[in-house]
Amino acid sequence: MVSTKLYTAIYVVLFVSATVQVLVEFAGLSYWLAFGVIMVLSAAKAVLVAAYFQHLRFEPRSLTYLVGIGLVAALALTLAASYSLL
Amino acid sequence: MTDASPERDAAADGGHEVAHDDHGHDFPGTGSIKRWFVTTNHKDVGILYIVTSLFFLVLGGVLAWLMRIQLFAPRGLGEGILAPVAYNQAVSAHGLLMVFWFLSPFAFGFANYVVPLQLGAKDLAFPRLNALSYWLYLFSGILFGVSFFQGGTFSGGWTMYAPLNVPTFTPDVGASTAVLALVLFVASVTVSSVNFLTTMHRMRAEGLTLRNLPLFSWTILLTAWMMLFAFAALLAALLVLSSDRLLGTTYFAMESPAGALLWTHLFWFFGHPEVYIVFFPALGVMAEVFQTFTGRRIVGRKWFILAMVLVAIQSFAVWMHHMFLTSINLQVKTLFMITTIGISLPFDLMVFALIYTMLKGKIRFTTPFLFVFGALLLFIIGGITGVFLGAVVLDYEFRGTYWVVAHFHYVMVGGVTALVGGLYYWFPKMTGRMYDEFLGKLHFAVYFVGFNLLYFPLFVAWETPRRVFDYAPELAPWHQLATVGGFVLGLSFLIMFYNLFKSAFVGDPAPDNPWEYATTAEWAVSSPPPLENFDGTPTYRNGHLEFLDTGEVAPTEGRSDGPTGAAVSDGGVTASATTAVTADAELPTAEVTEVEGPSHASIWPFVLSAGAFLVLLGLSPLQDAAFPEGMVGAAYATTTVAGGVVTLGSLVAMGLEPFHGPVFEEGEAWPFAGIDNGKVGMWIFLASDVVLFGGFLGAYVFTRVAFGWTGWEPIPSDPIPGLVNTYILLTSSFTVVLALVAAEKKHKWGLVTSLGATFVLGIGFLVNKGLEWQHLFHEGLWLSTNVRASTFFLTTGLHAAHVIAGLVIALYLTARAWRGAYLEDSRSVEYFGLYWHFVDIVWLFLFPLFYIL
Repeated sequence: MVSTKLYTAIYVVLFVSATVQVLVEFAGLSYWLAFGVIMVLSAAKAVLVAAYFQHLRFEPRSLTYLVGIGLVAALALTLAASYSLL
Repeated sequence: MTDASPERDAAADGGHEVAHDDHGHDFPGTGSIKRWFVTTNHKDVGILYIVTSLFFLVLGGVLAWLMRIQLFAPRGLGEGILAPVAYNQAVSAHGLLMVFWFLSPFAFGFANYVVPLQLGAKDLAFPRLNALSYWLYLFSGILFGVSFFQGGTFSGGWTMYAPLNVPTFTPDVGASTAVLALVLFVASVTVSSVNFLTTMHRMRAEGLTLRNLPLFSWTILLTAWMMLFAFAALLAALLVLSSDRLLGTTYFAMESPAGALLWTHLFWFFGHPEVYIVFFPALGVMAEVFQTFTGRRIVGRKWFILAMVLVAIQSFAVWMHHMFLTSINLQVKTLFMITTIGISLPFDLMVFALIYTMLKGKIRFTTPFLFVFGALLLFIIGGITGVFLGAVVLDYEFRGTYWVVAHFHYVMVGGVTALVGGLYYWFPKMTGRMYDEFLGKLHFAVYFVGFNLLYFPLFVAWETPRRVFDYAPELAPWHQLATVGGFVLGLSFLIMFYNLFKSAFVGDPAPDNPWEYATTAEWAVSSPPPLENFDGTPTYRNGHLEFLDTGEVAPTEGRSDGPTGAAVSDGGVTASATTAVTADAELPTAEVTEVEGPSHASIWPFVLSAGAFLVLLGLSPLQDAAFPEGMVGAAYATTTVAGGVVTLGSLVAMGLEPFHGPVFEEGEAWPFAGIDNGKVGMWIFLASDVVLFGGFLGAYVFTRVAFGWTGWEPIPSDPIPGLVNTYILLTSSFTVVLALVAAEKKHKWGLVTSLGATFVLGIGFLVNKGLEWQHLFHEGLWLSTNVRASTFFLTTGLHAAHVIAGLVIALYLTARAWRGAYLEDSRSVEYFGLYWHFVDIVWLFLFPLFYIL
């Protein structure tokens, strides 16, 4: 499926981007810009782990949709509940 | 309930051969008590579910009687048979017991018994987990029972609204125990959902596509999907509540921003799908029984299914209609009013399909049909009165009145009515005996009169305030009618219990298919079915049910008592009448299937559940994370430790126990064709875990929005310990990847080293976290300091609990790998990896949200 070399490369990318997240915080960006950058980095890392370490990329797509449904449910709850306060 | 010995079955079935093939395993017969403690067979588990749920029906019913006696006249404080708090406990426990411990488990008794038969499967995908679901359910019910004796059970209503649900207002230990009992119940439901979903998607007979799936199985499939996600949200709500009660966090406390509103969001995100979770199986029974006793396939079958799928999806988008009188904004109320009206539309289609089926068919008024027909009438009334509540303006008036009480009893107990019909319908299949038709009809007559006498007056007396026993004196006659109706309804069950109990022993022997025109597969096998359901491998490849001969068991030829209504089949397939036998020549895996017969016995699900029961019972008196002083506290602490040892020990024993699930040939497996059952099960579980963490993160985001997002400072002043833990966890994920690579290369020491490294890294993560927490405690921060601290400690604590669970598994895997395991079959390592990477992914979001932003 995937060579150990690629796994290692992904591990390095994950490691570095975690560091970048903290550096962004100290970079003096505006709060919401920093928020956006940091959350996008988290999402990208999550996708990498799911796609390669959990090898979803090489599984039938239905497993990805399954997790996606859970994610949509969680986001629906979070966003709609928070919106109801505004 | 059943005492079916094989010999009697053979006689009952007109002497044709019954294949009770125990494969010489040490598996006691149904007459033995031991059998019921060790069984993992789906039919046994189904019967256990049904009997246990009926016990909780009686318990919840007696509580209802107490309430109705109290409500016979408007009462002041101290009048009547119940003290005020006792009344509150009766109301709350009645609701919780009926909704959780009776309704769903009753339906899942049928699901356990019937669904594998309808699928053409020998058992569920994970038989031991199925037994585990049952025992967790039973012990959760016992735990709820114990709560009555710990100062009093929960008294804040079945919805457990905040802030009444925190110890400030419900201080009894029993109230905490009731919440913990629900936690255990949710564990049972989650295990069950994973099992059913894996089974129903992966183990259908060849040719049995989802489109052709019988309608009862369809409803259970959709119910299991809703359960998977809805109960995960409830678990989040309950864990947060348990933490507020036992550890002292302040999510739902009065002084927390929007704490009461948070509970309603979490609870109703679960609660509205729950309405359909309890109703869908009843709908499935209605569809099956309508088809059988009108002799006609349901009208618009494809649309009926589509409507149910729509409802299952929409059910997650209507929850705020339970919150029209809270402080949520008007725009969102309007939106949810629209979605609520929208969800009533597919139901209209289903109701019309059922009515039209009756018009086009020829009705036979048997007991099962009477019950489901009655259920349809009751559901129509319940549904229409619910539309009133879905309108924002009307809800302002109706909220908190007996209109609501009457409405949901018509819906919920309407569902029960259909399920009772299901009990009569499948009773001959389960016991091999016919019930008494006259007593069945008498039961229906008394039941139906009692039902309407009980609930209809509540619509008339709708101005009665809910949950209290005082009301305007002029409403008293209606309440007196209702009380009389309550006794009529309750006592009608005595007729049923007498009828079924007697018939189970001395009823007329039931043929394979006692119902003309019943076409689903459970009627094509003997009553009761043999241990492994089918004599050959069932297939629908030619559009109807056939059995491929495995060459071991004598096939059952077309029988004289077989059904004759093959032309009117349920789906596109006919599951009866032509029990053809095909040679096994084209069956490549036929030889493999019976090398070693499947196991049917394991004691560990029972022991594991008992251990979990003790752990939660032991934890129940905690307050602010401390046991009470003195002997009592010591006894509880000891119980917790003992329970923990039993739980862990039985987990290990279960892991080591040689157990063979049913071997099956992959037939229809959309959409998970070609993926191993274990992997599908793991992913389905992880999807529910996504919602669990989603609930926790949702609670955090919601509370922070209520607090003012940017005014909220992260609890740790320094993100570096968190960053270090991110590094550790990422590295441990990498070592798990290496472990799998090593296992696949059959490199034993590579595997042991990688797994060991994962374990050590996990310990490092926990030590680092411990040091950080220690530091925060020294700064004077504690779980109860404020809601910021509560969310930090609880959310990262839940994550740490996942890490600890992972470490237990990692340790087990390392020890087994040391002894040479997983080199031939690395799937266990792979599945553990899926879990561990998921825990890693969660941390990838917790770290920025709780440390940086």
